[in-house]
Amino acid sequence: MGADSGPGAPSAVPWRKVLYERQPFPDNYVDRRFLEELRHNVGVRQYRYWPVVREASLVAQQLSCVAVFLTLWWYMYEGQLSPFMLLLAGLMSALLGYALYEALGGSTDGRRTRLADLQSAAIFLAFTFGFSPVLKTLTESVSTDTVYAMSAMMLLAHLVTFPYTQPSPPGSLSLNAALFGSVCLASRLPGALHTFAMLTCALLVFALWPCLLRRLRDRAEWGFPWAAALVSVGGVCGLASQSPGGALLLALALLVLILLCPLLLLWLQRHKNNIHGPWDEAEIREDLSRFLQ
Amino acid sequence: MMGQRRTAGPTASFSSKTKDGVAAGQQDSTKHNICMVSDFFYPNMGGVESHIYQLSQCLIERGHKVIIATHAYGNRKGIRYLTNGLKVYYLPLQVMYNQSTATTCFHSLPLLRCVFVRERITVVHAHSSFSAMAHDSLFHAKTMGLNTVFTDHSLFGFADVSSVLTNKLLTVSLCDTNHIICVSYTSKENTVLRAALDPEIVSVIPNAVDPTDFTPDPSQRDDSKITIVVVSRLVYRKGIDLLGGIIPELCLKYPDLQFLIGGEGPKRIVLEEVREKYQLHDRVRLLGALEHKDVRNVLIQGHIFLNTSLTEAFCMAIVEGASCGLQVVSTRVGGIPEVLPEDLITLCEPTVSSLCQGLEMVIARQRAGTVPPPAAIHSRVRTLYTWRNVAERTEKVYDRVAKEVVLPLDRRLVRLRAHCGSVAGSIFAFVAVLDFLFLLLLQWLIPDSLIDVAIDASGPQGLWGQRRARKRELNANHHEGTGTG
Repeated sequence: MGADSGPGAPSAVPWRKVLYERQPFPDNYVDRRFLEELRHNVGVRQYRYWPVVREASLVAQQLSCVAVFLTLWWYMYEGQLSPFMLLLAGLMSALLGYALYEALGGSTDGRRTRLADLQSAAIFLAFTFGFSPVLKTLTESVSTDTVYAMSAMMLLAHLVTFPYTQPSPPGSLSLNAALFGSVCLASRLPGALHTFAMLTCALLVFALWPCLLRRLRDRAEWGFPWAAALVSVGGVCGLASQSPGGALLLALALLVLILLCPLLLLWLQRHKNNIHGPWDEAEIREDLSRFLQ
Repeated sequence: MMGQRRTAGPTASFSSKTKDGVAAGQQDSTKHNICMVSDFFYPNMGGVESHIYQLSQCLIERGHKVIIATHAYGNRKGIRYLTNGLKVYYLPLQVMYNQSTATTCFHSLPLLRCVFVRERITVVHAHSSFSAMAHDSLFHAKTMGLNTVFTDHSLFGFADVSSVLTNKLLTVSLCDTNHIICVSYTSKENTVLRAALDPEIVSVIPNAVDPTDFTPDPSQRDDSKITIVVVSRLVYRKGIDLLGGIIPELCLKYPDLQFLIGGEGPKRIVLEEVREKYQLHDRVRLLGALEHKDVRNVLIQGHIFLNTSLTEAFCMAIVEGASCGLQVVSTRVGGIPEVLPEDLITLCEPTVSSLCQGLEMVIARQRAGTVPPPAAIHSRVRTLYTWRNVAERTEKVYDRVAKEVVLPLDRRLVRLRAHCGSVAGSIFAFVAVLDFLFLLLLQWLIPDSLIDVAIDASGPQGLWGQRRARKRELNANHHEGTGTG
């Protein structure tokens, strides 16, 4: 049993991986079966290029959404777009989107009635309209630079915390960050009606559009890449009309996101070396909350 | 008592490692001066703590000198003596998180050097990879040229960020440690992989259980019912969520079944909710935190011992349960399959259905009366794991380590850079150089020769045993309590 007995000890009995038996081997004995239960990369998914590109387009289109929103704000700020026009376009797209959303199904989670949806929309619109003069003057005492920096941070936070994987409406942190950034930007517009229109637009872009996109992804798979491409192209074109340099940068960013990042993932995947063995902590895979319901 | 300086005798020079043994007239085995270091020690309670205590006691019994260094626990600071002259240094180091001290790599050097020098330590034995103080002491001991041993008590994964970082630190800490001890073969595989070690320098020495503490007493059972006992901290890693699923499932099926649960922790709420929901207040008793001496009294009331751990390096609890004569049902995780012979344990997968299946099988056997009597189980288990055996095997590790050379600074730097990757290796090589310079500064400020040598309480020249013997000769009846060295 000694730690320093010779390694060439007679081994008439095979070594067993048990502690309850005194075995004729030194304590530091290394058997041939040492590490035989070691496993590499258990349950690792092998990615293929095009499916990854498809999923990456979700990230790209979210970046484009932010660009679209900023372009619209820019137009309003320059006075090239009247709030009426924006509200009208918003109403049209909201109705169109709602119709599409309903058409795409909802047999499973069709709990909410149309009346409830209408009620929510009415409450939101009424409150935003009522409070828009307040929101307009909210950041008056803050310097414009600070407001811009803050909205940039918030929109970035929105992009970082957006729940790209779970099939759910935008997470609360992500949505709150986006709306806070929108309020900051909207308060720099010339009038109260502008602010109202901008906030309504923010809700459409950051809250309702991801819901519609999610359903599109679940129910009509072929439509999803097209929608993502449409938003991406729309974002680049919109930005190009105001700032060609910005549009070029955005286009480059989108290309890197959609085409290069998946390549990088696939390349790094080959270097993945995850080891598993009997020492791994067991995972509880079943749903144990059923015992408490 | 610490102010005296020993000037005569062969042990005056600090670097003499083997003279103690020669002086004591032992030819075959050298006596070592061992310092156990860990953040975890009494009054904290747990597996590591009792391991250090029991191992130290048995090593003292075998004639070695053993001291323990840990951090101060509240009012418990300074030097304390435990049974048989086991001296414990409670050092004033700041606790960071979960009773583990903060580490800066340097701040503990003056204190630990003082302890190592005045106690003429030859082997530093650090315990538990969660303990920052243990890693610090290994680092300083190597700088001071002392032999080092490390015991790993826990398992770690490889997949998440926190384990990647801790595994890197472990690699750095163990790459020039002389010998490593693990408590099971699974734990050895895990440690060898985590720290990229040569498996030859890793020994497997299991934990032990004091069989006299855990004797069966079937008269304490209520044989009109079947009692399942669980004794564990109520935390996620112990699988308490699984237990919360097993309780309603089995209680609905067997009206004569009851659960006795000892232990405390954040997952207690899960069990309370289950008890509330299914109205099981008379059948599921939550006893709260148990003291070590009460564990046996709880165990002997049961028929079946259930362990639902999700990860476990050795699991002393199942040995304690079996030692009390209970049927053991456990999850098949970590080192558990190595611990008990197949006929003494029922192994299940870590799922509610598999554990229920295993329990039902044992309940059926219990009803049919085909289980062996508790006394028979106890007599089989009592010889499996003893602390004397652990001490004997650990002693062999010390003997081997004492013959090895501690790497000098230049070779240590080469080893660090070759073994731990270029970035981490270089950083820690730099830290090792700083540690060495710091040591030189300390040696210049207070030379080793000026540090008082402590009087041994244990070991070949241990005064504790000698005094006890003298007192016994003088028939002094009232010699108990704390010693004065």
